[in-house]
Amino acid sequence: MSIPSQRQGATSPPERGRELLARKWSYLLSGAVVVALDRNELDREMRDRLDDLCAAVHAEASPGSPSPRSAERIGEQLVALGYVTEDGLRVTLDVLGKGLLGLPEFQPVERHAQSVVAVLGALSSGFLAASRRAVFEQQESMQLSLLKAVRDAQWNLKESEARFEEVVTSSASGILVVDLTGRIVRANAAIGDILGYTTEELTGLGLLDLVHPASVRGLGEAMLALLDDPHEDAQGGSRADRQERVRQPQRLLRKDGDVARISLTMSLLRGADDQPVHFVAVIEDGTELMLLQSELNRQALHDVSTGLPNRQYFTTHLESALRRADPVRGISVFHLDVDAFGMVCNSLGRPTGERLLVHVSQRLKAVLAREKAMIARFDGDEFAILVENAAGTPDVATTVAEINRELAEPVYFDDRGLAVSVSVGVVRRPPSDWAPAEVMRAAEQALRRAKAGGRGQWALFHDGQDADERRADALAVAMPGAWEHGEIGVRYRPVVELAGRALVAVEAVLHWDRGDDSLDHAGCTAPAERTGLILPLGEWHLATACGQVRWWGQSAGLTASLRVGLTRNQSRDGDLVRRVRRVLDDTGLPASRLTVGMPVAVLAEPEAVDNLTVLAELGVGTSLDDFGLGPDDLAVAAELPIGSVRVARRLVERQARGEAEHLAGLVPLARRAAARVLVDGLETREQADWWRAAGVVAGTGPFFGDPLPAGAFHDPIEWYD
Amino acid sequence: MVQSEWIPSGVDISVPSVARTYDYMLGGAHNFAVDRALGERIESTMPGLRNAARVNRAFLGRVVRFMVDQGVRQFLDIGSGIPTVGNVHEVAQAAAPGCRVVYVDRDPVAVAHSDLMLAGNDDAAVVHADMRDPDSILGSDAARRLLDFDQPIGVLMLLMLHWVPDEADPRALVARYRDALAPGSYLAVTHATGDNQSDNLTEATDAIKRSNSPDQVNLRSHAAIKEMFDGFELVEPGLVGCGEWRPGGPGDIASEPDMNMLVYAGVGRKV
Repeated sequence: MSIPSQRQGATSPPERGRELLARKWSYLLSGAVVVALDRNELDREMRDRLDDLCAAVHAEASPGSPSPRSAERIGEQLVALGYVTEDGLRVTLDVLGKGLLGLPEFQPVERHAQSVVAVLGALSSGFLAASRRAVFEQQESMQLSLLKAVRDAQWNLKESEARFEEVVTSSASGILVVDLTGRIVRANAAIGDILGYTTEELTGLGLLDLVHPASVRGLGEAMLALLDDPHEDAQGGSRADRQERVRQPQRLLRKDGDVARISLTMSLLRGADDQPVHFVAVIEDGTELMLLQSELNRQALHDVSTGLPNRQYFTTHLESALRRADPVRGISVFHLDVDAFGMVCNSLGRPTGERLLVHVSQRLKAVLAREKAMIARFDGDEFAILVENAAGTPDVATTVAEINRELAEPVYFDDRGLAVSVSVGVVRRPPSDWAPAEVMRAAEQALRRAKAGGRGQWALFHDGQDADERRADALAVAMPGAWEHGEIGVRYRPVVELAGRALVAVEAVLHWDRGDDSLDHAGCTAPAERTGLILPLGEWHLATACGQVRWWGQSAGLTASLRVGLTRNQSRDGDLVRRVRRVLDDTGLPASRLTVGMPVAVLAEPEAVDNLTVLAELGVGTSLDDFGLGPDDLAVAAELPIGSVRVARRLVERQARGEAEHLAGLVPLARRAAARVLVDGLETREQADWWRAAGVVAGTGPFFGDPLPAGAFHDPIEWYD
Repeated sequence: MVQSEWIPSGVDISVPSVARTYDYMLGGAHNFAVDRALGERIESTMPGLRNAARVNRAFLGRVVRFMVDQGVRQFLDIGSGIPTVGNVHEVAQAAAPGCRVVYVDRDPVAVAHSDLMLAGNDDAAVVHADMRDPDSILGSDAARRLLDFDQPIGVLMLLMLHWVPDEADPRALVARYRDALAPGSYLAVTHATGDNQSDNLTEATDAIKRSNSPDQVNLRSHAAIKEMFDGFELVEPGLVGCGEWRPGGPGDIASEPDMNMLVYAGVGRKV
């Protein structure tokens, strides 16, 4: 068994990951359970348990030494913390199911997923067993307390009947009061129910007549032992030696002749003079039943083949999630339908279909592993997901795209590779006063619309959003389809030297041809930013443009470089560097011939700063766009490896309106920070001349030509050259 | 065992108990079917009430640790209920070994259970008595044996005073206890209020009424609860939502804002 060393200095990555996860576990537990520990103690406790768990996962992974016992013990230790209940288990499985697979030591996920699942399974079974014992113990101690309460009341049948009743009737357990001759003088309704008698019928019967013949002797002896007072027959005996009670598993005879298996606790009631007065027997058969009931409940709430919650459970969960949702971020509900599932079943059989659904359920879990989400299986091939949105929750489009990407990877059943897609209806941020049924109806309605659009599509439910948001959503939703159908293209416009009018660069921008109208670059990037489509779309944009410029270089001798503006999300995308390198490798365009522009405002974020710095090191040109609008812009330009800055279009418009006083001063300051200053949005010769005089080297804008498709742009290349 | 007056309830109905229902709300199994039924009914009218119960229990731990920090070594917990997780003597004796605790409850089953649990602990005992009878509590064998009334005592009345109707004059009753305490003693109170929520709360209190429990809730306002601290100086942060009294971590606060404001909590120091 090899366990990587786990305690080497507080900052080593596995330590840090575990520390965070343990704290999250402790934090979530503390909100769901009642424990005796204070916060710090609980933090430490959970940290220890997490180390145990990680060790168990490592052990599980190493062949030949599975140790489910250790994980079961962790489940037991959880129960021992206090009142941990099913909420505690749910929180634990939620946080660990996602968190363990997020730890660096368990990467890649595929290799460790099985071990993690096995360990969490063992933890659950240890938890269940311990929890069951705890319930037994607590119930048993309550029976004892009940018995004691009866005794402590110094029960006197005539004087305090009411007092006795209070104790007796509040019990779900059967209670019999028996006189010293064994005759029942008192019975409560619960024992009547157990035995099928009325309490009146029981009164007057002999207790031993109700006992199965095989056990009569044992019970009779026990009753005699209770009566047997060491005071009277043994000189050295003390009160402590006196037997207080007996507890036996027993078989009682029901009125209908059946046997009731119960557990019977009998004790002796003594009067004020310490003389025996009556026996009292507490009879319970409820605990087993109760546990059985909870198992039945669990089964009733889960789908058997995938183990996911079913519709009923999901709806209940949705109700509470709606209530406690973050008022700003809200929740998202996805209703998914596996495309062409009928076809799979028809051609490969229903069992394969079921296996496919199990596979889908696992993929869904993987995609949503980082979110607070419930995934449920509805009827047939339908699934539902409820995501409680948090700060880092990806937008709907990204999530759907991620799901379909995961599912597009073929899975093999009996050597047949199957790849599936899902259609998805989404309700984003439903109002918290909606009933769960309304939300589900809305999701279903959206699903129907999505399916009308073909396979692998998704649609948002729209009611209650304002018209603008709806329009923007409509654009965002239509965009992937439009992109696929070639309606979104790349166009090119010249970046021109203001002094000599030479072509210094070609800027590639997006253009969406919508038949009657069209959207320019900003019109394309805004909805794509909303949905996250910008990341794949942006990479395509870059790749298309790089390929085109390389071709122009080969075919027309173009030497000018390519300029591509990135959006905010692209600029801080953790994958940006990888994407750019991949495009440059694929297209063969030298890094030095590409310049990327980032909105200067995004450079307040460290991810964007990292991206820009690394790209500059790779030799890619860097530019700050929308420059001059923020107070820190100059500082950013001075601190980072910037090749050029491009003054914001809004400032150019302001200059055109004659509000130019301090603008002239901006350019020299910017030139001190970055070598070259450009402007965007030039419309007239006057503007071009003014900015040239102010010190700007080059510019873009309608004055030098609108963006054109690649085929039409050929002329400007020649014209400017 | 002190013989005291406690109210026998109706004779032939199932009677849930406050103490056992509270245990159920906390996630315990120290309860019977009628208690669980009542718990479910209340929870269905006020979703999240479990959290309010949990938050109150967390307050208990904080307030006992606070009092121990102030030098208190003896406690009188009136309305202690079913011993569950993190009981006063466990918290106190963990913080300062030798702390002495007297529990008081009027529920015979809760008392019997406490008695069983405390067997063998010489520093803690339970008294079966009603809060409305201060003499039987202050004069009980357990109190006389374990509590030194010349030294500060931490008195806890958690989720208890709202079961005392106005006719019984809870303010005057609290004053009787106060008068028996040495200066420097502390009083901790948590008390249900309708100040911040009314609709659901009415439904929940109705559910308790319909259950025929001998105990009925008396919601009181911030001002009325504050009056109970007559003769005590409220320590910071005063009488506030239970979750807001010196929370030590996120688990001390319920995620539903309403549930933090359902119960006021305050701690006073006798001047």
